[in-house]
Amino acid sequence: MTDAITVTSVSKSFPIPFQRRPMVAVRDVSFRVEAGQVYGLLGPNGSGKSTTLKMILGLVRPTRGTTEIFGRDSEFVASRTSVGFLPESPYFPKYLTGEEMLRFYGKVCGLGGSELRTRIDTLLELVRLTNARTRRLGGYSKGMLQRIGLAQALINDPKVVILDEPTAGVDPAGSREIRDLILDLKARGMTVLLSSHLLEQVQEVCDRVGILAQGELVREGPLRELIAIENRTQLVLENASVELIGEIETRALAAGAQVVEKRNSETTLEKLFLEATQSATRR
Amino acid sequence: MIRGLLILSILLVTGLAKIPVEAAISAEHRREHFRAVEFGLGLREQVGQLGFIAALSGFRALVADFVFIQAHVAWERTEWGRVLLLFRQVTTLQPRAILFWDMAAWHMAWNASVAAMNDPAQPRLALRLRAQREYFDLGRDFLERGIRNNPEKPQLYEALGRLYRDKYHDHAHAAEYFEQAAALPDAPSYDRRFAAYELSYCAGREQEAYERLHRLYQSGERERLPTLLKRLKFLEEQLHVPLAERIPDQLPADTPKR
Amino acid sequence: MSELPHTAFSLRRVGALTSNTLRELTRLRVFYVLLLFALLLIGSSFFLARMTFQQEFQVLKDISLGAINILTSVLAIVATARLLPQEIEDRTIYTILAKPVHRGEYMLGKLAGVLLLLAITTLLMSALFLAVLYVREHTVLAETARQMRAAPPDHLEEALRNVRASAFNLNLLPGIAIIFLKAALLAALTLFVSTFATSNIFAVVVMVFVYFIGHLEGTAREYWQQEHGTGWIASTFLGLVALLFPDLQLFNLVDDVVAGTPILPALFAKTAALGGFYVTLYFLLAWAVFYRREL
Repeated sequence: MTDAITVTSVSKSFPIPFQRRPMVAVRDVSFRVEAGQVYGLLGPNGSGKSTTLKMILGLVRPTRGTTEIFGRDSEFVASRTSVGFLPESPYFPKYLTGEEMLRFYGKVCGLGGSELRTRIDTLLELVRLTNARTRRLGGYSKGMLQRIGLAQALINDPKVVILDEPTAGVDPAGSREIRDLILDLKARGMTVLLSSHLLEQVQEVCDRVGILAQGELVREGPLRELIAIENRTQLVLENASVELIGEIETRALAAGAQVVEKRNSETTLEKLFLEATQSATRR
Repeated sequence: MIRGLLILSILLVTGLAKIPVEAAISAEHRREHFRAVEFGLGLREQVGQLGFIAALSGFRALVADFVFIQAHVAWERTEWGRVLLLFRQVTTLQPRAILFWDMAAWHMAWNASVAAMNDPAQPRLALRLRAQREYFDLGRDFLERGIRNNPEKPQLYEALGRLYRDKYHDHAHAAEYFEQAAALPDAPSYDRRFAAYELSYCAGREQEAYERLHRLYQSGERERLPTLLKRLKFLEEQLHVPLAERIPDQLPADTPKR
Repeated sequence: MSELPHTAFSLRRVGALTSNTLRELTRLRVFYVLLLFALLLIGSSFFLARMTFQQEFQVLKDISLGAINILTSVLAIVATARLLPQEIEDRTIYTILAKPVHRGEYMLGKLAGVLLLLAITTLLMSALFLAVLYVREHTVLAETARQMRAAPPDHLEEALRNVRASAFNLNLLPGIAIIFLKAALLAALTLFVSTFATSNIFAVVVMVFVYFIGHLEGTAREYWQQEHGTGWIASTFLGLVALLFPDLQLFNLVDDVVAGTPILPALFAKTAALGGFYVTLYFLLAWAVFYRREL
């Protein structure tokens, strides 16, 4: 598989005025994002996630190391022909309508004419904002803004899209829509690199994750491998009688295994919330 | 840091290149009488710190107008010393505005001089006459400096001609200035006529005056105005011009009634 | 859709950035300065009613052109100073520069947007001013003709000519063009300052200083060149001022134009070329700083 994004031992330090020692934001980080993957960059605030993304996009220059998009060094503008970016909570001009905003970004990418018009229609359809296309962004909800922001990142039909905290400040329903969109993009073969500090969300969409702490990549690998506990197995049963469970426990103990935990399955709070709010809106 | 130094050095190098260009344009401004203003200490004391800064920052004309308005108010209150002081500032700030020189001279020679002559606080006629004369001189001074700053405009020569004619009753000088005005490309046609009228009052120059007036008379109906006819007839008498050469008497019917 | 071919410079990209900048600036209600200008014109005309027509026209022209001068300069500085900091704060700059857009194109788009705004405001203010001047001129002409019915024809003609001469003269137009040029210079310089300024306010404060020093540059230059035997500290200081700052005084032709001095075409061309040189220089410097800037 080809690598969509390659980050090779990059470090970034920012000089602090009147201090000899610079602030190190990213320290010797390396990872690769394969084409078609959804990659999650995790870490607490200030761990260097945004700086890493900005280096990949050529907005910030690494002190050491290189970053590439499809083999093109981020230092060159040409590397950005195949990438789209949604920064963390951008503040798009309120006076533009969704459509006008997309047209501006399209023109900035050198698009125009009927090509741009169809592109805008497709994207509005994709992010489900066709009905809001002539409304001003000032009247959009946070979730809608993130979706139009995502459409903006996709305007030049990139092969990679980089999302910085795509669900920050978005309510659970909106958050879910964005998650679905990401899965949708993945289904279309798009590569996605996102950063987040919301672990659950990352867990649901990402194929591979990297965990940053204080500028260092402390863990990196396929999600399943990272979270799997090799010598444990989860068994979820429905309509099992007390006797059956007792029998299984006895058999397990006899075979030398231990039952570590036994409890009723729970729904997640998110699922509960969504079900409750959706049934309320249906009513 | 290195980048900063590089940019600073680019600025310095381009600075070296631009200085002769700016100096040349600046010299051209002087030649064309732009910005013929000396921003010295004197001016700063006159217009005050704020006005001085404003004048320096490209609002010279506005400061001049503001001072001019103050001068106008001072005139309405007949504070002649203040009028003089303020007009000196106005003309220093805006030496290319004919209007300001003209107004300054007019206030001095026509208004302040009359006020000085009728000053109830000064019983001695000789002193009042001297004060009046001083105001005439101040008016003349404004006009002469105005002409030095604007040698190509006829208006100030005309004004100086009028000042000599009406105030000093010095017809020779008046004729000279009207003549100078008439020689300029933008001069109105009456300047030539005025110069000739003034000359006709100068003892000993009647022949010259006669020739000029006669030439004007010959140039067409337009010039044959009542004053010209009157002065021409007066000179014909003076110079004993043969009757055959004299201009015809205007018939009462032909004389325009005004 | 295949990957777009990428060119080093695209007029469409710059055009999009320009119109977006212009749109953003007009949203800031900058056109209120036009209202201010109109109020000033109306206000001053009440006041001017007590003067003779020569005085009236002189003061009307001085006030109007002075106002156009200061309003375009202030607009150039204030509007340009906020462009970069605002886009960084809104994070929209990341969305734009993450696209295949050169930073030079981005800067050019921003500058062109401001210049377009300045051109539009200058034109509108000039149109307003010339309209008022035209109306007043014709009122005064009619009045003069009425008052001088009895005067000899060449006196009347001269009086009317005087009115016309003291009202509109064609030299006002190059004078206004140079006011615009000065504002363009200030905009380009503000853009340069804003590439390394830490905030909008900082850029504005720096530019206010530059504005005043720029008007004194001519004096500093002359003292420096004359070698007055001042100490080396003073001499170095004067030299730095002369080298680093533009001579803004050279762009103030309009005061003398109002007073009746014509602008020779050669002088106009030289001044315009100097203005163009400065706009280009400051733009290139802004680009040079911004090219390496970390966002």
